[in-house]
Amino acid sequence: MTARAFPAMGTVVSLRLEGTRDAMATDAAAASLEAESPTTAAAVAAVGEVFARWEAHCSLYDPASELSRIGRGELGLVDAGEEVRGAYELALHWRARTGGSFTPHRGDGLIDLNGVVKALAIAESGAALDGLGVTRWGIDAGGDVLVGGAAAEGQAWRIGIVDPADRGALLGAIDLAGVGGRMAVATSGSAERGDHIWTQPGAGPAAFVQVSVAAGDILTADVLATAIVAGGRAALDEYTERFPIDVLAVLGDGSLLATPGWPRADAVTQPSAARDAAAAR
Amino acid sequence: MRTRALILASAASATAILGGWQLGAIGAVTAPVAQSTQTTGTTASTDASTSTSGTGTSSSGSTGATGSSGSTAGTGTSAAASSSSTDGTYTGSTVSTRFGDVQVQVTISGGAITDVTPLHLTDHDGRSVMISNQAAPILRDEVLQAQSASVYLVGGATYTSQAYLQSLQSALDQAGF
Repeated sequence: MTARAFPAMGTVVSLRLEGTRDAMATDAAAASLEAESPTTAAAVAAVGEVFARWEAHCSLYDPASELSRIGRGELGLVDAGEEVRGAYELALHWRARTGGSFTPHRGDGLIDLNGVVKALAIAESGAALDGLGVTRWGIDAGGDVLVGGAAAEGQAWRIGIVDPADRGALLGAIDLAGVGGRMAVATSGSAERGDHIWTQPGAGPAAFVQVSVAAGDILTADVLATAIVAGGRAALDEYTERFPIDVLAVLGDGSLLATPGWPRADAVTQPSAARDAAAAR
Repeated sequence: MRTRALILASAASATAILGGWQLGAIGAVTAPVAQSTQTTGTTASTDASTSTSGTGTSSSGSTGATGSSGSTAGTGTSAAASSSSTDGTYTGSTVSTRFGDVQVQVTISGGAITDVTPLHLTDHDGRSVMISNQAAPILRDEVLQAQSASVYLVGGATYTSQAYLQSLQSALDQAGF
């Protein structure tokens, strides 16, 4: 599997690709590949273009973006391109679905589409890789992950979840199927970009330091991770009942909450049972 | 009227409990059992369509619990009489949900539903599983552990390109893993 990474949207996009012309594990596999399979460079470029386009339209860090111009009153929202209008509409849809915990309206009145734009770029990149014929791919944009196809034949993608208290260590892991079921896991935090999630008025400081949501699609995962950080325990309880998601949440004191479906450590074999099994052999 | 209101309130709360399960078809409440008995054996032996009519009763409370799925309409059972003589505990039939099979027990007291208890829920392998998808405390040792060498990608709260340089993901990318 080939690994590539490039900067985008103020963070880094990491790719894992299998099925590109120059990413085959063996010569035999490469020889069996159809000539029209894309090169790794073409696949990376396709993803790069998707991210660059969304950034050009919706970045608030780029003063020349459409959304920045809207924020300054230079461009009317109705006059913006379909990316901005579509993303805004989607953000409003999710605001309604989350009872306002997720919102594109910043405390200072600016429209901020960061909550949906990265997920939209990830989803569109995945579709682009599928379209190119990349058979197995994983996209990680700043810690939000979407996969397509199995990691290897019959094998899930194991995604590590970083420990918010120690960026160099893993807190846990979750397996993404790549086909059906869990395809995406997104993580939001109240610590690293302290300003990027606005809690609801009167909600006080965020209850959760970090919230990871696994879902069938990256948009649901990303929006609900953000909404749970913003909405606290009540939001966590509500969305886990309403949406088919699994959640791992880290509280301020480092303790954890997990839904029943979040993967558990393998059961430790009882010493006596192991002994019995050995004796039976 | 007061009794009716209580029943409706109970039905609404049952809907809240069960609404998320995407309930499929459910039979009517079937047989009264002793209040203290955790009977789970009663299944859909009594079909809703064969039961006698009733109004505003324990069974309609149970139906209310599934009303969100729209699967059963106008059920009522012999337990439908509105007098307090119907006090008791009733066991519903087994229902398939996306989490597995579930069976609900309803307790009637003073003509009103006083309790709705999920009796059991099993996953598709027949193991009992938790009734709700609510997140509960879990120890660090209990979550699926992984070493960085065994994961494909690392998820975490949005890291800036600067923080990325100190991240596990950066190490994985450099290793070409």
